[in-house]
Amino acid sequence: MNKKSFGNRLIASPYIVWAAIFIIVPLVIMVYFALTDASGTFTLQNLASLGRYKKAFAISILYAIIATVITLLLAYPMAYFMTKLKVSSQKMIMMIVMLPMWMNFLIRTYSWITILANTGIINTFLAKLGIGPLKLINTPGAVILGMVYDFIPYMILPIYSVMSKIDNSLLEASDDLGANAFNKFKKVIFPLSRPGVISGITMVFVPSVSTFYISQKLGGNKTMLVGDTIEYFFNLGPDYYNIASSISLILMILIMISLFVMNKFSDDDGGVVI
Amino acid sequence: MQKENIVELKDISVAFDNETVLDNLNLQIKDKEFITLLGPSGCGKTTTLRLIAGFLEPNNGDVVFEGKKINGVPAFKRQVNTIFQRYALFPYLNVYENVAFGLRVKKMREAEIKEKVTEMLKLVNLSGFEKRSIDTLSGGQQQRVAIARAIANHPKVLLLDEPLAALDLKLRKDMQKELKKIQQQLGITFIFVTHDQEEALTMSDRVVVMDGGKIQQVGTPQDIYNEPKNAFVADFIGESNIVDGVMLKDYYVEFSGSKFECLDKGFSPNEAVDVVVRPEDVDIVPIEQGMLTGIVTSVSFLGVHYEIIVDIGGFKWMIQTTDEHFVDDKVGLYIEPDAIHIMKKSEYSGLYGDYSSYSEEHDLLSEPLEVEE
Repeated sequence: MNKKSFGNRLIASPYIVWAAIFIIVPLVIMVYFALTDASGTFTLQNLASLGRYKKAFAISILYAIIATVITLLLAYPMAYFMTKLKVSSQKMIMMIVMLPMWMNFLIRTYSWITILANTGIINTFLAKLGIGPLKLINTPGAVILGMVYDFIPYMILPIYSVMSKIDNSLLEASDDLGANAFNKFKKVIFPLSRPGVISGITMVFVPSVSTFYISQKLGGNKTMLVGDTIEYFFNLGPDYYNIASSISLILMILIMISLFVMNKFSDDDGGVVI
Repeated sequence: MQKENIVELKDISVAFDNETVLDNLNLQIKDKEFITLLGPSGCGKTTTLRLIAGFLEPNNGDVVFEGKKINGVPAFKRQVNTIFQRYALFPYLNVYENVAFGLRVKKMREAEIKEKVTEMLKLVNLSGFEKRSIDTLSGGQQQRVAIARAIANHPKVLLLDEPLAALDLKLRKDMQKELKKIQQQLGITFIFVTHDQEEALTMSDRVVVMDGGKIQQVGTPQDIYNEPKNAFVADFIGESNIVDGVMLKDYYVEFSGSKFECLDKGFSPNEAVDVVVRPEDVDIVPIEQGMLTGIVTSVSFLGVHYEIIVDIGGFKWMIQTTDEHFVDDKVGLYIEPDAIHIMKKSEYSGLYGDYSSYSEEHDLLSEPLEVEE
């Protein structure tokens, strides 16, 4: 099936045009802006000046790693216990997990403000008990909470889908060969669920590292993440498109490197399941 | 056979969703024997195996291992190993690591593991395959890895759940011999589950014929074939003509309108019985010498012999003979006394042993049998 027929190409052509306009052209524009100055002449000045944003990069990566680890620690046991339930309960929980994804991401993030604010739900409740107010909003913790909340379905879904397909006879074989519950998890369940874990990590880490809205609303603009920095410069107007593009380019390269590394991990298992 | 029982099943009942799967089953399995649980899909043979492995607990009754009750002992603590129907090899581990799995769990020293795995792979003729990944192996090779992985743990009992069902005929025959050889070499008890009667007869010391969650008969392959207890066993093991008869007195039976001498006794006078005559035990003779006469209705050539259907008073007999006969020939049948086997009437009487619907049945049998889940 190496040679595609004319018909196949014809069917694929709308997608190719779509991909060219909405994926390739923007990328080319971004690379062009990143490598030119405001007058349009070629320069590496933008990239060279990025050193001063290394704090934003470092914090973004750190927050994304923390959020990914927390997400994984919550999602993995959840996915595991879901597979132990009856099928009807599994479907029900699946619905509940997916339900927030049908709502706008901005609204979901915004609703956390009303929960975490100094006069928000939690602090109002605590005040009645004579405690607080606690400083919940505008903290790094609130930003990471926002990331975990927004992206956890992307961790649960791939892990659950891989785990629910584990062949029961492999688990029986593990029992049969004398493995106790701990060994069964370590030597059978975990290796078999690894492709799902790797997909989940990728699908949570990538949006976390590039997010910008969550940190502004829940972090109170105190912590500028890479995404916020990019947005900030684009908002300043066309003169700053070059610097914004160069930050985007570097962020994209970092993400691609991390995807490449993740794929290396999952290669033995026959690719990432998304 | 004065050996001790290694596994005993006492008054075992199992039901799934109120549907009885095993019905008050009792079975003693002797140390170092090759015993086969034989029966059609859904007869409870795999369930019996899973009880011994520990994947399933009985609703009633005891599973006894070396004289000790082991109900409630989890599978990983039992000294038995299983060869699964579809092998259940770990796809992310290579051949070496699959075989080493049980040994690593036991925290055996690396040098010992290496020695053991090498020995096991040699035993199953897979030396040199250590580094191969499972999905590059053929079905037969995967089967061998599964055997090596199970016996590396020195189980006292090896449970085999239709292990050869997925292999082609030639490979299956080879593996039958090889399994038997391995069993004799290692001197461990094999409990083998199959729906293939030929496989059961060739490999086993004893065969347990099961149907409907009950044991129909336990015995050596010869016993089972020559002295079936009821019409189900007679029909399931090999081909049989099963006709209604009346036991006139000891050693004297009447069926198909004629009286025959036989070797059976111990029935009450004029007791209604089922009479079994194997197709290869009937001789076709000229009509005047026949004890029975009939008309040939179908002839098929099977290589070694012809399979001939003869209509005797409306009942169709199957006869296997090396002489050629033709449809519509009138023939006589001659039956030696020792070819006649008498069985008591049972719930299976009248259900089997008539070849009227022969051609349909033949089609049914040549279809691949369903693999029991």
